[in-house]
Amino acid sequence: MLEILREYYSDILLGVGYTMLVAVIGTLAGLLIGILIGVYRTIPNPKNKVALVFKKAGDYLLSAYVEVFRGTPMMVQAMVIFWGFALLNDGKTLDVTVSGLVIVSVNTGAYMAEIVRGGIISIDKGQFEGAHALGLTHAQTMFNVVLPQAMRNILPSVSNEFVINIKDTSVLNVIGFTELFFVAKDIVTQTYKTFQTYLLVAMVYFVLTFGISMILRLVERKMDGGKNYKILGSQNPDAETFAREVKHD
Amino acid sequence: MTENSTPYLQNGAVTATNADEPLVRVEHLGKSFGDHIVLKDIDFSVRQGDVTCIIGPSGSGKSTLLRCINLFEQPTSGRILFHGENVTAARKANLLRRRVGMVFQSFNLFNNLNVLHNCTLGPRKVLKLKRAEAEALALKYLRVVGMDAFVNAKPRQLSGGQKQRVAIARALCMNPEVLLFDEPTSALDPEMVGEVLATMKTLAEQGLTMLVVTHEMGFARDVANHVVFMDGGVIVEEGSPEQMFTSPRQERTKAFLSRS
Repeated sequence: MLEILREYYSDILLGVGYTMLVAVIGTLAGLLIGILIGVYRTIPNPKNKVALVFKKAGDYLLSAYVEVFRGTPMMVQAMVIFWGFALLNDGKTLDVTVSGLVIVSVNTGAYMAEIVRGGIISIDKGQFEGAHALGLTHAQTMFNVVLPQAMRNILPSVSNEFVINIKDTSVLNVIGFTELFFVAKDIVTQTYKTFQTYLLVAMVYFVLTFGISMILRLVERKMDGGKNYKILGSQNPDAETFAREVKHD
Repeated sequence: MTENSTPYLQNGAVTATNADEPLVRVEHLGKSFGDHIVLKDIDFSVRQGDVTCIIGPSGSGKSTLLRCINLFEQPTSGRILFHGENVTAARKANLLRRRVGMVFQSFNLFNNLNVLHNCTLGPRKVLKLKRAEAEALALKYLRVVGMDAFVNAKPRQLSGGQKQRVAIARALCMNPEVLLFDEPTSALDPEMVGEVLATMKTLAEQGLTMLVVTHEMGFARDVANHVVFMDGGVIVEEGSPEQMFTSPRQERTKAFLSRS
């Protein structure tokens, strides 16, 4: 196993690089898609009839997107998108890396949409009312009050998706994307050391996913903030003391 | 409390076109949730500087009435007039709410923001104040409620009474013309009830117009200048606290007050 590592470490590193590239960008882009859809779907129904029709049409389209991409395997989606693009462009295929990024992002977005929606509806109605009572609009309430809390609550699920993406990029080998699994297959064809190679690759995958889990756990703790806070020394600080002591975070 | 003489309602009378026109007038207000009728033909008004307490048994529609006034609930019939202007149409809700404050039973402080930013969010986003102006305003009202030392604390680090005082400061930062209180002390232990009621009493003495749904009869008797008794979705009786608490005219009022 060590000799495989010694001989092919540059290929393995390249595979790790591509795997992480797709996993990181796919997860972040998927999260962004999820936030946009989640926010859209929690907009209260407009009173205006025409606006209501557009809102409903949008809702149905987004539901279709979520159901289709959750309901089919990513490996099949990769094939359909990659070869579908080629069919529409006289056989010219989309760049493999770009294809990989698009497929993982769009697939993750479908899951994230539901995760974000769940995060938003889990926020107490009182948070919305507190903001609306001040005259804040729905959008202001969302971005200043609800989403920051929802994001904290969905972080464990996002971390889940991230780990799944690191592993699931392996299905992109079907379109020839040189991620870690693709590299492993390549090494096997050259060395015939099937077991050793895949065991090594399994270990590499585990290091990646475990590392990411740990990092996101740290982010969670960071977001929770400390248990302590500073009580300002004087009960009636003058403006200058106040400006000095107030923490801008 | 260094600023006891400061008027809270700097823009209080600006839009009042007619001195006789009440600040808030409710006309023939009805509200039902499906077949369940909660409010029937409610008529009443709040004048500038009034401290009105709405009392009555649970389920009598007090909170729903309050929530209709800032359009949290859309009335099924009747009108709500603010300075004589019909504001019942829901699309005006945002404009109305920046002038009608609300304090909740469950505080509803923003959990992701510290005390200071809870108070500055409204002024900055709705009134478009600069950060420094909003913070000065927040500090001023946090001092009024005695919570200025806690600007850095998150809501979860505060006691119920402290949260409610911050919630009151947050509402005051918008300079509301009338402040609605929806059972502000019902979730608090007796000591905390005392600290919140004391704060509310101070505000009443400063001339803040307040509409308070409460079960605190002592507060209604001592601080209010107008008491409304509701039961079964209607106003059974209203009048001055002396009249309501010493010689109520209706049997239902007598029965309710004798038990509290």
